[in-house]
Amino acid sequence: MNQVELSAVEKHYGEYHALRNIDLSIPEGAFVALIGPSGCGKSTLLRSIAGLEQISSGTISIAGERVNDVPPRRRDVAMVFQSYALYPHMDVERNMTYSLRLRRRSADLIAAAVREAAATLNLSGLLGRYPRELSGGQRQRVAMGRAIVRHPKVFLFDEPLSNLDAELRVKMRGEVRALHERLGATSIYVTHDQIEAMTMADHIVVLKAGRIEQQGPPLALYDRPANRFVAGFIGSPSINFIEGAVTADGGHVTWEGLERPLSLGRRLSAAQRVQIGLRPEHLAVATDGTMAMVVDTIERTGSQTIILGRCGGQPMTVIDHGRPVLARGDNLRLAVAPDHIHLFDPDSGAAV
Amino acid sequence: MNRALDFVRDRSGFEMILIGLSAVYLFLFAGAPFVFNVLMSFQKVDLFNIASIDRPFVGFANYQKILANPDFWLIVRNTVVFVALSSVCQLAGGFALALFFMQDFAGASWLRGLFLAAWITPGYAIGQVWKWMLAGDTGIANYFLRSLHIIDGPVYWLSDPSLALLTITFVNVWLGIPFYLLLISVGLSAIPRDLYEAAELDGANAVQRFCGITLPLMRDTLLALVALGAILTLQQFDLIAALTAGGPVNSSNVAQFWSWQLSFQSYQIGLGSAVSVLMLLVVVVIASIYVAATRSERAA
Repeated sequence: MNQVELSAVEKHYGEYHALRNIDLSIPEGAFVALIGPSGCGKSTLLRSIAGLEQISSGTISIAGERVNDVPPRRRDVAMVFQSYALYPHMDVERNMTYSLRLRRRSADLIAAAVREAAATLNLSGLLGRYPRELSGGQRQRVAMGRAIVRHPKVFLFDEPLSNLDAELRVKMRGEVRALHERLGATSIYVTHDQIEAMTMADHIVVLKAGRIEQQGPPLALYDRPANRFVAGFIGSPSINFIEGAVTADGGHVTWEGLERPLSLGRRLSAAQRVQIGLRPEHLAVATDGTMAMVVDTIERTGSQTIILGRCGGQPMTVIDHGRPVLARGDNLRLAVAPDHIHLFDPDSGAAV
Repeated sequence: MNRALDFVRDRSGFEMILIGLSAVYLFLFAGAPFVFNVLMSFQKVDLFNIASIDRPFVGFANYQKILANPDFWLIVRNTVVFVALSSVCQLAGGFALALFFMQDFAGASWLRGLFLAAWITPGYAIGQVWKWMLAGDTGIANYFLRSLHIIDGPVYWLSDPSLALLTITFVNVWLGIPFYLLLISVGLSAIPRDLYEAAELDGANAVQRFCGITLPLMRDTLLALVALGAILTLQQFDLIAALTAGGPVNSSNVAQFWSWQLSFQSYQIGLGSAVSVLMLLVVVVIASIYVAATRSERAA
């Protein structure tokens, strides 16, 4: 059964159209990431599911019940805020138990819930501390603890890791995912970080300007982006886009700087202009490569070398897993894997 | 000379000048008059020796006279009623209005600003206007209440001894509410919105959010505000002078007005000073509450 179901959801703020015709089904136990650039509507969508925003039209159902007119406190969802929103006048224990105390649960049950959550999140030694006495990572854990003691129907995460430093973010990424698997609860996770989405989610929803651009499993979005926007958003470093054209026979594609047209393995309408997407990791430096590149900048991370340069007049990024000896102005040959070429319509941006 | 200039420009000289200026100011305009006042409360002061500091020392005689005055306990009672009732009503009214204006309706901030209009008007003028409005036979207040059939005959708000104190308290509450409204509004808007959202998702209804989030987070602000407001009410002089001048027969007289009457109407300056020193002790207690409240605010 679908735990969360959105159909034809629209949200207007006066003239501003924040959400456009959102259809989304989230099965029970799924981990769904909502991603997109700032202002794409991902937080608005999350807040609408929480009930903190009223949608203008459409329906939202949680566990089969239409919740459009149900106030947030009766929706049985828990949210982890970007700011954590811990109650500053309550210690960790009281922060975590506020919801249970409001529901007048028995003292035994509350104590057991706190013990369990504290053990899960490594907070046992901090129960008497106040939020101001905690580090960023500890606050983040308390915010998660406050959500899990309730055993809600749905967990909502609003960029919960964005205030942590890089190292802790990577660590917490794994912990959030592990927690999700332990609890088996439905989670909806908003982030602008595509790596977070790719590594944590079972299902990714890419939003832009209030519209769903594409949704699906992470690798499906990576392998078969529905349009130029999704191709550019998923993957790091970003995909290269260059102008090209389908040859007269309709079976090959070519672009400036490429020695001989590449076979597509399928037929397209002849001689149409296309935009070609080449992921940096699908290009390889090779002496027998068919594409010429001039090196501008070299970034070495140790495990890989990122080479930025130009092919013909167009910028190009390549990832090499070796440590090639290169300098600015060098000429390289690149091999292109024909299976990994993405083609987009230059006008609509849709995949061809 | 250059070294002195460098000390000001690059070292702690500038800070020392700032501290020095405020220390001099405080000494001249607060410290010295305070000492002078305390001194007078232990002396026999009359119009002939007022210009000299060397006056006959009388010990606690002024205080004994004040305590023995038949009006003393009446005035203490009046002052307590005036300050306590004013503070409670100002706090409740200011808080209610501040919560009302937190609801984001059209013109909310503009209307809230209008509340400050009462502050532009001098206290004595406000007292006069209220005096006209509350006048027994010709006042608009009685006219309204009679038209609404709430009262039958005229009510003598200012000359009925059982009402006079309550009436000046009412006007003082009216005058003080904008102060509370404004500062409580500042405190309320400092509470992050997402705390309320988190509480809502935790299952708290509006009343529970108010008691569980707003009140505890406003506690120190409110405590500081009540302390400050009580001191302002203890200073309230203009309204009383304009409305009742402490009458009829001291029924609305309060300590600060009595002190002025003793010093500047009957020229018993030693007695007036003693009353003001007694008030000062009360203010010190209230001020320490204020200091404690603002200190824990900073710690939070």
